Amino acid sequence: MSAIHLQNLVKKFGDFTALKTMDLEIADGEFMALLGPSGCGKSTTMNMIAGMEEPTSGKILFGERDMAGMPMGRRGVGFVFQNYAIFTHMTVRQNLAYGPKMRGAAKAEIDRRVGAIAEMLQLSPLLDRKADRLSVNILQRVAIGRSAIMEPAIFLLDEPLSNVDAAFRAVMRTELKQLQRQFRQTMVYVTHDQLEAMTMADRIAVMDHGVLQQVGTPLEVYNNPVNVFVARFIGAPGMNLLKGKPAESDRGLVVDLGPLGVTPPLPDELASAVRAARGDVLYGFRPEQVALTERGLSMPVSFVERIGARTIVHLGQGESAVKAVFENDIGLSVGQTAVVAPPASSVRVFDAATGLAVKAG
Amino acid sequence: MSAVTATIAEDKMDARTKPATPNEGARLGFRLTLPAQILVLFISAFPLLMQLYISVTDWSPLSGVGWWNAWEMWNSFANYTDLAADTRFWSALQRTAIVMLVCVPAEFLLGLALATLFADDFPGKRIFYSILLMPMMVVPAVAGYMFFMLFQSGGPVNDILSRIVGTPVTIAWLSDPNLALIAVMIADIWQWTPLMFLILLAGLVGVPEDQMKAATLLGANAWQRFTTIVLPKMKTIIIIALAIRVIENFKIFDTLYIMTGGGPGVATETISVYIYKVTTQDLIWGYVAAIALAILIVLSIVAVYAMKRMAKSRELPA
Repeated sequence: MSAIHLQNLVKKFGDFTALKTMDLEIADGEFMALLGPSGCGKSTTMNMIAGMEEPTSGKILFGERDMAGMPMGRRGVGFVFQNYAIFTHMTVRQNLAYGPKMRGAAKAEIDRRVGAIAEMLQLSPLLDRKADRLSVNILQRVAIGRSAIMEPAIFLLDEPLSNVDAAFRAVMRTELKQLQRQFRQTMVYVTHDQLEAMTMADRIAVMDHGVLQQVGTPLEVYNNPVNVFVARFIGAPGMNLLKGKPAESDRGLVVDLGPLGVTPPLPDELASAVRAARGDVLYGFRPEQVALTERGLSMPVSFVERIGARTIVHLGQGESAVKAVFENDIGLSVGQTAVVAPPASSVRVFDAATGLAVKAG
Repeated sequence: MSAVTATIAEDKMDARTKPATPNEGARLGFRLTLPAQILVLFISAFPLLMQLYISVTDWSPLSGVGWWNAWEMWNSFANYTDLAADTRFWSALQRTAIVMLVCVPAEFLLGLALATLFADDFPGKRIFYSILLMPMMVVPAVAGYMFFMLFQSGGPVNDILSRIVGTPVTIAWLSDPNLALIAVMIADIWQWTPLMFLILLAGLVGVPEDQMKAATLLGANAWQRFTTIVLPKMKTIIIIALAIRVIENFKIFDTLYIMTGGGPGVATETISVYIYKVTTQDLIWGYVAAIALAILIVLSIVAVYAMKRMAKSRELPA
C-alpha cells in the first residue's frame, strides 16, 4: 500500500502545456477520481504516475520514494487501460500469469496465484478461453486480475467504462467499487463521467485545461464548488449561474439580476462575504434545489424535458436561462410563467470577475 | 392505403434483391464471377496443360512440327525418368536450396532487426528509410552488373578488404566455385532485405501499443516483450513474408546470371539457370517442360503449406 504525492508537477509537450503545476495528495488506500473534460490533463497525470511519461518538472512520490527516472515496470503500479489491452493472442490464464511469469516466478507459484485471483474475480471457468472472444465485463475483470496478481500498491484505471453501454456501466460501477474494497489498494481513476466519479470515489480531483480546480469528497465538490467551472461541470445539469449586482435592501443583501428582478436576501454570513468582495457576482444554485414559490424569480417556461420520474424545466433564455429539476411532473408547460427560488441555504455566490466562489465566513 | 402498398412493394423488392438462402447467394455469386473465372482458368490452365502435354514428348522448336502435333513424338515419360537420373538437375536443385536456406533467413533476420530499429524514432530516420529502400528499386539486371564489378579481383570489395587487412587482397570472388556462390547470395541479400524490412515493419507498427505498455507495466523487459507479444502478433505477416521470399528466391535468376552466368563451371547453376540453359542452348523443350512442372509442384507445396499456416494463425487472430 502506498500514498501518492504529486508535487509541483508540470508536463509540457513542446509548446503545449498539458499540466500546469499540479499538487495532489492521494492517501494510502484512497479511491481518487481524476475528473474533467477531455484535454484537461487527467490522463497525462495518470501516465506520469505510471511512468509512461516523465514529468517536465516536479516530483512524484510513492510514500517516501521518489519515482523520478524509475522505469514503469518497476514502479509496482497496476494499470487498467481504457480498452483493457488484453493480450488477445493468449488465453485468460496466460494473461493472468503474464506478470509473475515475466518476473520468473516458479510454475507452481504462478498456478497458485492465478488460481487464487481467478477465484476472486470469478474467472475460474474461463481460464482456458482465448482472450479475443470475451465480453467486455470479463475483459475488464481479466485486465484487473492481470494487474492485481502483481499485488501492486497502486492501481490506476484509465476510463475503464467508456467503451461500455449505459446499462452495463451501472453494473460495472458496483463491481469496481466492490473490487476496490476487496483489494484495499490506492486507486486512481481517470474519467470524464461525473456519475462514475461521484458514485465510486472517496475524493474527486476536478481538472480543466491542465489545472487542478478542486479536490474534495463527491458531496463537497457538488455542494461547494470552488469556482464557476466546477459549478457548471459537476451536476447534470450543472449549477445555474445568473449575473447580477449585489444591492442592499430593507430585508438584507440581495442580488439585482437586472430584468429578472432581485433575488431573495442572501444568508447573513454569505451577505457579509459578498459585501467584502465587492464587484459583480454570479448568483448560483443547483437545478435540483429550485422550488416553486410565491415570491422569487418570475420566468417564462421555454422547454420541458421529461426523463422518467424527473422533469427538467428550462426557464428564460440566453444569459438568464435557468434549469429546474423536479422529481415529479409538476404540470408546467411551455408559455406559462413560473415563480421560482432556491432555498437561501443552497445559494452559492461567485465573483463575476475571477470566477471564484465567495466563501461565507 | 398508399402507405400499405408502399410497404408491400418494399417487401417484394427485398425478396428480389436479397438472396433467400445462402445457397442461392452462392449461386448468384458464381454466375456473376463466371466470365472472370473462365478468363483466369484459360490464362492459368491453358499453359499448364500445354506444358503437361509437351513434357511427355521429344518436341522442340526445331522438330519441324507445331507443338499441337507433338503427340507424334510421344516418348512414354522418358523425360521424367531422365529427370530422376539427371545429376546436373539434382545438384542445381541442391544449390538452389542452399541459396534459399542462407538468403531467406538472413534477409528475414536483417529485415526484422531493421524493422525493430525503425519502429522507434531516431534522428535522420526518413533519410535512412529512403536509402534502405533503394536496393529494391534497382533493376535486378543492373544490380547484377553492379555486383559483377564490385567483386572483380581488382574491384572495390577487394580494395576495401586490402585497406582493412593492410596487405593487398586479390580474392577471385567470381571465379572461385565456393566464393562465387557466396557473392551471389550477398547480392540477393542486399537486394531483397528491404522488401522483408518493409513487410515486417508494417507488421511491427500494427502491434497494439497499449498491449506493449501493459506488458512493460507487468515487468516484461524488451526481449520478453518481443518474444511474448511482438512475435506472436506478427505470425501471419511473418509467414507471408517468408513465403514470398522462399518462392521468389527459388526462382533466383537475373542478378545471378549476370554475375556468374551460372559458373564457374556449374558452381552457381541454380534451377532457373539450368532451365534457361537447357531451353536456349540444348533446345529440348519437352524436357524443359518436365523440369518446370516438377518445380511448379515443389513451389505449390510451399505455397499451400504457407496458406494453411496462415489460415491457422488467422483462426486465432493476433
